[in-house]
Amino acid sequence: MSLVRDMISIAAVSAGAFFFLAGTVGLLRFPDTLTRLHALTKADNLGLGLVVLGLLPQADSLRDALKLVSIWLLGLLAGATVSQLIARAARQGGSIR
Amino acid sequence: MRAHVAARVSVASRAAWFLCLWLVLAGATLDDVPAAATAVGAATWTSLRFLAPGSSRLSPRALGRLVLLFLYHSIVAGADVARRALDPRLPLRPGFVAYPTGLPPGPRRNVFATLTSLLPGTVPAGDQNAQIFYHCLDVERPVIAELAAEEEALVRALYND
Amino acid sequence: MTEFLTAAVGFILAMLALGLVSILRGPGDADRVMATQLIGTGGIAALLLLGTVAGVPAAVDVALTLALLATFASIAFVKKGLSRFEADGTASTENE
Repeated sequence: MSLVRDMISIAAVSAGAFFFLAGTVGLLRFPDTLTRLHALTKADNLGLGLVVLGLLPQADSLRDALKLVSIWLLGLLAGATVSQLIARAARQGGSIR
Repeated sequence: MRAHVAARVSVASRAAWFLCLWLVLAGATLDDVPAAATAVGAATWTSLRFLAPGSSRLSPRALGRLVLLFLYHSIVAGADVARRALDPRLPLRPGFVAYPTGLPPGPRRNVFATLTSLLPGTVPAGDQNAQIFYHCLDVERPVIAELAAEEEALVRALYND
Repeated sequence: MTEFLTAAVGFILAMLALGLVSILRGPGDADRVMATQLIGTGGIAALLLLGTVAGVPAAVDVALTLALLATFASIAFVKKGLSRFEADGTASTENE
């Protein structure tokens, strides 16, 4: 039982780490502000989500698990809000590259 | 009279949600009761101030579908960005697309914009009149059709009044 | 399990260090805000992992606080710092 839980954790956390890698590579490689924004919001939030998913089987109680999920939701909401604000500012100030 | 009762119900349900959130984040200890009461009261007051109770009815099934669609989109979006970022040729065709929306400006349109900021390859970048501008990683993808499907799912789940 | 999670923390921290490189490169303010956001998300992930590895439940509370602070810092920065780009009226719709 604990082996199955550990396998789920390892798979999900590895996938999460991969998306952090992709997000950082996108941030460094994409050509302009708005495309880099895509790398940040999409890849990072998925990375955090998968790390949270991987930690759920290791949580001691239901409350701890719910707490992890609420932190992910908060991060998701933050990413979505901030990315819109940055995109708006970047669109209107065509001068930012 | 009926509206009055409905308003009370919505205040109580919001307070209950905030209380649940408090219990999850801070735990249940007797010493915390004053702090919890203050926090729940302040959160309920703030939420009522910024988001007046709506008239639409929640449909749990449609909401479930929306959540599933959202999770599916987050995964596809992340995979899409990862593929483009790690591809040596860097396959991007970035540009803006104007999406005509049926949602009124204000909270509903903002919720829609927030949800769609997690669709593959789209980030909302402001709105004007009945259009939302989206920045796309690849303007040749069927972005408008995907956005329309998302809007329909959202309206069914939350705004079916 | 502990070894694996510790390695994951190391890897994510390495990604954050690369994110710092992108802060240095800029070129615009918007790019720097984005790198800060990256460090916020990655920091949360690293803290959550550490909390489980080291058995320190308080790390989860730190992650929660970081999530809140990073959000408000980014919003404040974009609204204030980048407001010079929002000269025309289209930006005002977001307040309603």
